[in-house]
Amino acid sequence: MNFKQILTDLFTYTPQEEYNFELLRNTVNDTELENEYLKKENQDTSIYTSLSVNLEYVKSKYNSMINSDIIVREFTLIARGKQYSAFLLYIDGMIDTDIMNRFILEPLMLRNKSNLYGNDQNRIISEAVTNNITVRKVKKFNLADYIMNCLMPQNTVKQCSEFSEVFNDVNSGNCALFIDTLNVAFDIEVKGFEKRSIEKPENEIVIKGAHEAFVENIRTNTSLIRRSVHNENLIIENIKIGEITKTSCALCYIKTLANSDLVSEVRYRLNNLKIDSMLSSGQLEQMIIDNNLISIPQTISTERPDKTASYLLDGRVILLVNGAPYALIVPAVYTDFLSTPDDKNMRTSFSNFVKWIRILATFLSLLLPGLYVAIASFHQELLPTDLLYSILASRETVPFPVIFEILLLEISFELIREAGIRVPSPIGPTIGIVGALIIGQSAVSAGIVSPVLIIIVAITGIASFAVPDYSFSFHLRLYRFAFIFLGYCCGFLGIGLGLLAYIAVLCDTKSFGIPLTSGISPLQKTVGHSYFLQPIWLREFRASYLDAKKEEKQEKISMKWKYPFLKKEDTK
Amino acid sequence: MTDSKITSKEAIMLVVTIFVSHTIVTLPQNLLSNTKSATLINLIYVGIIAILLAYVIYRLLKNFASLDIIDISQYLGGNVLKSIVGGIFIAYFIVTSSNLLREFCEGLRVAFFPMTNILSILVPFILVLFITNYLSFSSNVKTISLIFPLVLISIVFLFFGNFGNFSFERMFPVLGKGFADTFITGIGNIFAFSGISCLYFIPPYLKEPNQMKKICLSSVIIGLMYFLFCTATILLLFSFFVDVDEVLPLYSAASYIEFGIFFQRLESFFMLIWILEIGSYLIVTNRFSISIFQKITNLKFHKPLAMIFPLLIFGIALLPKNYSIIRFLESNIYAYFIIAIVFVFGIAILFLANLKKRKEKRVKPQKIQ
Repeated sequence: MNFKQILTDLFTYTPQEEYNFELLRNTVNDTELENEYLKKENQDTSIYTSLSVNLEYVKSKYNSMINSDIIVREFTLIARGKQYSAFLLYIDGMIDTDIMNRFILEPLMLRNKSNLYGNDQNRIISEAVTNNITVRKVKKFNLADYIMNCLMPQNTVKQCSEFSEVFNDVNSGNCALFIDTLNVAFDIEVKGFEKRSIEKPENEIVIKGAHEAFVENIRTNTSLIRRSVHNENLIIENIKIGEITKTSCALCYIKTLANSDLVSEVRYRLNNLKIDSMLSSGQLEQMIIDNNLISIPQTISTERPDKTASYLLDGRVILLVNGAPYALIVPAVYTDFLSTPDDKNMRTSFSNFVKWIRILATFLSLLLPGLYVAIASFHQELLPTDLLYSILASRETVPFPVIFEILLLEISFELIREAGIRVPSPIGPTIGIVGALIIGQSAVSAGIVSPVLIIIVAITGIASFAVPDYSFSFHLRLYRFAFIFLGYCCGFLGIGLGLLAYIAVLCDTKSFGIPLTSGISPLQKTVGHSYFLQPIWLREFRASYLDAKKEEKQEKISMKWKYPFLKKEDTK
Repeated sequence: MTDSKITSKEAIMLVVTIFVSHTIVTLPQNLLSNTKSATLINLIYVGIIAILLAYVIYRLLKNFASLDIIDISQYLGGNVLKSIVGGIFIAYFIVTSSNLLREFCEGLRVAFFPMTNILSILVPFILVLFITNYLSFSSNVKTISLIFPLVLISIVFLFFGNFGNFSFERMFPVLGKGFADTFITGIGNIFAFSGISCLYFIPPYLKEPNQMKKICLSSVIIGLMYFLFCTATILLLFSFFVDVDEVLPLYSAASYIEFGIFFQRLESFFMLIWILEIGSYLIVTNRFSISIFQKITNLKFHKPLAMIFPLLIFGIALLPKNYSIIRFLESNIYAYFIIAIVFVFGIAILFLANLKKRKEKRVKPQKIQ
């Protein structure tokens, strides 16, 4: 580098060469203009009679110049010997090409005898001769009807007159046929995208129940429910949600069982969602529940068709979202979160025993760490002296207060749990073992936490896994921290008052008009529902809080084989 | 309004909750200091009178279908009397609950938080009241009905847990300080049944108003049984309580229970249940105060008042300087205050309203003729 170059570099201005992108915010006028444009875009437009106009419209709407998977197939169609220009619109990868070739393009394009005669286009339906005058009843030839009835050997075809209808179905995997001179288009079902097959449930494992789980495809899910319910009174209404995604949602109920007001309320809430997109049942749940401020779940989410069918037969309403392998069951009550499909499959004594265990698990999951902190900080007299000494001895080397210890362990536990879920499945269990054994052991050896606390946190963790409903278990995990804090601040006073507020809020919460605590309160007689199951022959009624159209589930004497000599009127 | 309707069993729980909460603090102690070893007999005696009074209240309320004492006083003396009666009952609920809260918090301070300012112990209760006042009446009642069985079990457990420690000779002399003190001046112990005040306000909330008789009688009988259990536990366990100013006698009784080597000191668990009970009591009195205030001011919604009444209770609870003043007020003033308002004033209003109604009934047929 010469001297001149150095001087030039030092004293001459060189423009900045760094690439710097900034997203500029639109001005108010721009936004207004854009909104107006979008409004115009969203307006319904009728299909034109001119094919070229339709073609232009479709191409501009789908941005076919830059959209790689939008296919417009132009061809000539033969009907009654006449040729018409036509095109098919579909999305590559969402249709079954074999169906399209064999059942749409082939019949429309290839010549066949019956379609060739160029006779009078009008068809004589009947003819009568009176006083030498022939009266003929003639049906005018209608190209649209002819194509629909004679040229399209396809099970689901419908005529659409609006572009929005056509686009909606094309986006779902159908194809649209536009024909010159017709102001209607044919919406033909040729869906053929790849989908997951029905597999075993992953999150709700049962011992004695069915081993089928919902998948992402809504039709597969509705068929799974239909197969279980097997009744023509099962209604599956289709509701589109989302301005952009127009996600198909299904509202399922049994017409002769579900309370009409309940069904109307669910339908009302679904029809009044003004959102751009709806991608999962979790999103839908948050959009329709009564109270989002508290974390208590207010719907039951399940991946099991048998559980869904069982709730349907109780008179509840089911919601399915296309793309989500979960069904939402409404309304829900508190005890539903502690029940599993296996409960009804097992002997009553077995299921009631595990139900007791689950109550204990709920209690431990919510309160155990808080109680430990309260006892360690304020109520040491509760512990027997020997145990107290051993706890004190184990805490002797720990330099931190009990709240720090427990928060450290609880947060570590949550980290391990979160990591276990997020990492690839082969590594997941390893993380649990590493976390539980190595970190726990090391923390005790290093004198950061006491061994008693490891036991407390471990019991709490196991208890939270014993709670069957994931959302409810999560809710308990969240509130556990509140009780730890209350226990540390005020001991049993804090826990007692926290519990009182919790119970009060719980009692006030409703799921689709039904109190969440229905069936719990000892003073409210709830016919047909109790947390603990009665023997199967005594489960005669549906839960009274659901106010189902049919209260009785089975006759008073359901096992008639046992009492063959009873009169008919005595068994009812 | 359908949301605020309660069943007859829930109504019974509501009334009994008021009875029960006073026993957790110094009520048994006050009863014992009044009638000594004759307290059990005296309780049965005043219990029978309370049952009769409850029946009288039922008979007087019966003619007014689903109206409470506030509506009845409006019928009797217009808006002026309605406001006066409402004001008196609001004052009654606020004063009794703030006194009970302060007394219980003082007990908590002695038992668990000796170094803590009373303010810090009172505040959590007030915060809970803020939350519960925002919720519906029926949810409050459901909360109480979930908690109450626990409280009932705790007292029965306390009685049978201490059974081995009882000295039955403490029941003697059977008539305590004498016949007159037991049956004549001892009638003052009826203040223990202050929960009867709820009966005046329950009718509008009932799903089945025709169950009022059952509610009136059952609640007093359950309350009486409960009192007998509590008082018997303390009387048969410690005779010295009669004269010694001890806080929370039931808490002290709980410390005597032993189940093997492991469970030696269970009183904190009892205290946990009783904290829930005191909270329930405050919820009830608060809701009644708010409902009365709503009626006398014709307010449509209760939520704007959710914070005002707990703050009032908080303020009044802080007024007494120390525990001795509270004990003095409790044993010398509040007892008469309760008797005057619940058993004299309330019944008098109902009685006069019934007279007016009867008079109107007599006048109306004459007009038709």
